[in-house]
Amino acid sequence: MTELLDGYRPDRSPTADAYDEMVDASGEVRPTYETLHRTLAELAPGELQTISDSLASNYFDAGVTFDVGGVERPFPLDVVPRVIAGTEWDTIEAGVAQRVRALEAFLADVYGPGKVLSDGVVPRALVTSSTHYQRAVHGVEPTNGVRIHVAGIDLIRTPAGDVRVLEDNVRVPSGVSYVMTNRSAMIAALPGAFRSTRIRPVSGYPQRLLAALRAAAPPGVEDPTVVVLTPGVFNSAYFEHTLLARSMGVELVEGRDLVCRRGRVHMRTTRGLQRVDVIYRRVDDDFLDPVHFRPDSMLGVPGLVNAVRTGGVALANALGNGVADDKLLYTYVPDLIRYHLGEDPIIANVDTWRLEEPEAREEVMDRLHELVVKPVDGSGGKGIVIGPFASAEEIAALRRRVTADPRGWIAQPLVQLSTVPTLIGESLAPRHVDLRPFAVNNGEGVWVLPGGLTRVALPEGELVVNSSQGGGSKDTWVLAGPASFTDAPLTDREVDHDPGHPGPVSRPEHITAPSLPRPEGEEMDHRHHEQVQQQQQEEGSAC
Amino acid sequence: MLSRIAESLFWIGRYIERADDTARFLDVHLRLLVEDPWKTETEACQDLLSLMGVDSDEPSRDSLVELLAWSPTSPASIFSCWRAARDNARRAREVIPSELWEVINTTWHQLPARTGRGGHTGFLAWARERSALFTGTSRASVVRDEGWQFLSLGRHLEQADMTARLVSGARLVGSNPWPAVLRGCGAHDAFLRTYRGVQGERDAAEFLIQDDRFPRSVMYGISGASHCLAQISPYGSDGGGRRDPAHDAHHLLGRLQAQLTYTPVGDLLDNLNDHMAEVGEGCDTVTRIISQTFFSISDPTAWTTEGVA
Repeated sequence: MTELLDGYRPDRSPTADAYDEMVDASGEVRPTYETLHRTLAELAPGELQTISDSLASNYFDAGVTFDVGGVERPFPLDVVPRVIAGTEWDTIEAGVAQRVRALEAFLADVYGPGKVLSDGVVPRALVTSSTHYQRAVHGVEPTNGVRIHVAGIDLIRTPAGDVRVLEDNVRVPSGVSYVMTNRSAMIAALPGAFRSTRIRPVSGYPQRLLAALRAAAPPGVEDPTVVVLTPGVFNSAYFEHTLLARSMGVELVEGRDLVCRRGRVHMRTTRGLQRVDVIYRRVDDDFLDPVHFRPDSMLGVPGLVNAVRTGGVALANALGNGVADDKLLYTYVPDLIRYHLGEDPIIANVDTWRLEEPEAREEVMDRLHELVVKPVDGSGGKGIVIGPFASAEEIAALRRRVTADPRGWIAQPLVQLSTVPTLIGESLAPRHVDLRPFAVNNGEGVWVLPGGLTRVALPEGELVVNSSQGGGSKDTWVLAGPASFTDAPLTDREVDHDPGHPGPVSRPEHITAPSLPRPEGEEMDHRHHEQVQQQQQEEGSAC
Repeated sequence: MLSRIAESLFWIGRYIERADDTARFLDVHLRLLVEDPWKTETEACQDLLSLMGVDSDEPSRDSLVELLAWSPTSPASIFSCWRAARDNARRAREVIPSELWEVINTTWHQLPARTGRGGHTGFLAWARERSALFTGTSRASVVRDEGWQFLSLGRHLEQADMTARLVSGARLVGSNPWPAVLRGCGAHDAFLRTYRGVQGERDAAEFLIQDDRFPRSVMYGISGASHCLAQISPYGSDGGGRRDPAHDAHHLLGRLQAQLTYTPVGDLLDNLNDHMAEVGEGCDTVTRIISQTFFSISDPTAWTTEGVA
């Protein structure tokens, strides 16, 4: 049992200071990982490798890919899952939902009365200077008040073991499809572990999302038509777009499939135009409508913004959400939670310096080589400079860029993300991970998918986990408590009306069925056999 | 159904049928080439390639295989057919059953490793198997909705067109090419059974062109296409009293059907190339009308901007 983790954490490795999710400082396996560790330890040598290879080939055949630079690449799935205790998950779930509620209230305020600005909680300049603030939707109230239908909140675990929020994604967070495909692949790969552990299911996501999208439909629409809008097959997350459309049973459209007429949106079908009521868009604001945004956009739909403004169509997520996941605004989210919700933040932020503040600049400008510096409007790990790994020239260039545009940058201490055993070559080695839970808001409540996407940086000591930077992923197990009613599948009624509060699961009735029919010949055989026996008996009695 | 998706399904049907038929075409003619004592290899290959719409200088047996089987750059190759089918399938991923998608995706992944290995016979057999797997899986997994009709429509049109090419090719090589052509269509045994062992040119042509009971005949393809088109029509098969937008296509298929049915077999054989060329042109025209009627995606007025300040 010890062989599996022999030499797992050498003292001098770059990951030695990080919190390990599976083993504690003294090398003992943590209670949450006991079952998994036992399953892994029971495998014959080389078996883990075989399982890992079959995972990779399944993904290859099924076309589960993440495109980088227009080239399809299989999305690496590591064979060792990440496990989260049920009680800890309850805290994370509440913390994520709280954050989404606060950001939702903030957006409603910013695009409405603007009290949060006049009360001085957030400087007005921060909002007006955000590149993602969209004046076009000021005063536009969504039907059910929801702007963040889907959110992805990135969490990390510090060396001390506490969970912090690293960033919020409330524009078009991606990755949820891999949560679902990872789970179904892992059930096939490690059936033993699933038999001996109670893990909360993730397959309910598409239904929850569809229910939230339907709830967002413009008023007066009885049976709304929902579509997923993709930039097209060359988008890095195209696989995800197809999976979501497929699992929700709705059309996957490109911009050229849609047309706006008199404030309504229609799709071009073989039977002419058909009205669309809700668009789950996976296209950035900038490309959505060439009339309002980039005129050179070939992905968008001319007239879409007007249709949104006049209530002819609902857009999920809403336009202009980027102002809430600006990394500078991130530093204010704890204040927003207190201001809008009157609650204390359940999950804390990572310490952050706002480089637009002179005191902060003074404090950090000489220490850039030991900090992580991020552009405020980037996503997917773009533009991040990790001080300790950067060359002197890169630091000098960064210093010039920060001085030129201090509003555009934040700095954070370098956090050693926690590690999880990961199959590298033929043995397990610690690799850094983060966690992106996904939340769905249907207007009546925020539902958080149990687990989320665990992203893992595959090179040793690497801290950037983004898929676009070559990261992989792990299946994420939330251990089930005694009563996990929230995972029960939705009933039809709930899909339409009240998906937030599913009731208890009813027991399936006991079923009986007639035995399977067999060809007549077999009965003949049986009768023949009987005849033979009877004949023998008669012979016997005759004797 | 989205026009773009309908178009993708139509072309998936065509490309995979084409991959299958091209493999059959090559199989038949590579065998006949060996048997033909009268024509030079270059001449014969030139004829065959032009029959498949490919230009080539001084082709050889090898370049025939290269251009029609595994060249990634030749648009007529089996390789290109599968690549195009996969591109279309990826665009229509959300409407294609996962099982069916995996057939297409794994075939596409295996292509580079398959080409050139084990000679052309192995490759052609594999290509036919993959098409058969697609056809079988699609029959067992695709819902019989409009999408299925477009997929089938593509397959039927392609099959009629390709059998027509294969039949006209029969006249290009060999003294008695019909048994080979029948074998290429997988029709040899069925033909012998239907015609009780009599093997005449006349009967073979009748079977491959006119007999709509045999699923690779020209007639079967045309009737099948006509049937699919009737299902797709928004007004039902009788037109519901209104003019069907795809009326011209329907009409054209009906005319081809009648022509092939009522032209005496002798006349068909005497003017085989003309008749078969007419089938090919008919299929092209039908495809064009379908595209305009169901797939046309851009508005007559396109969005233009006055430039960015």
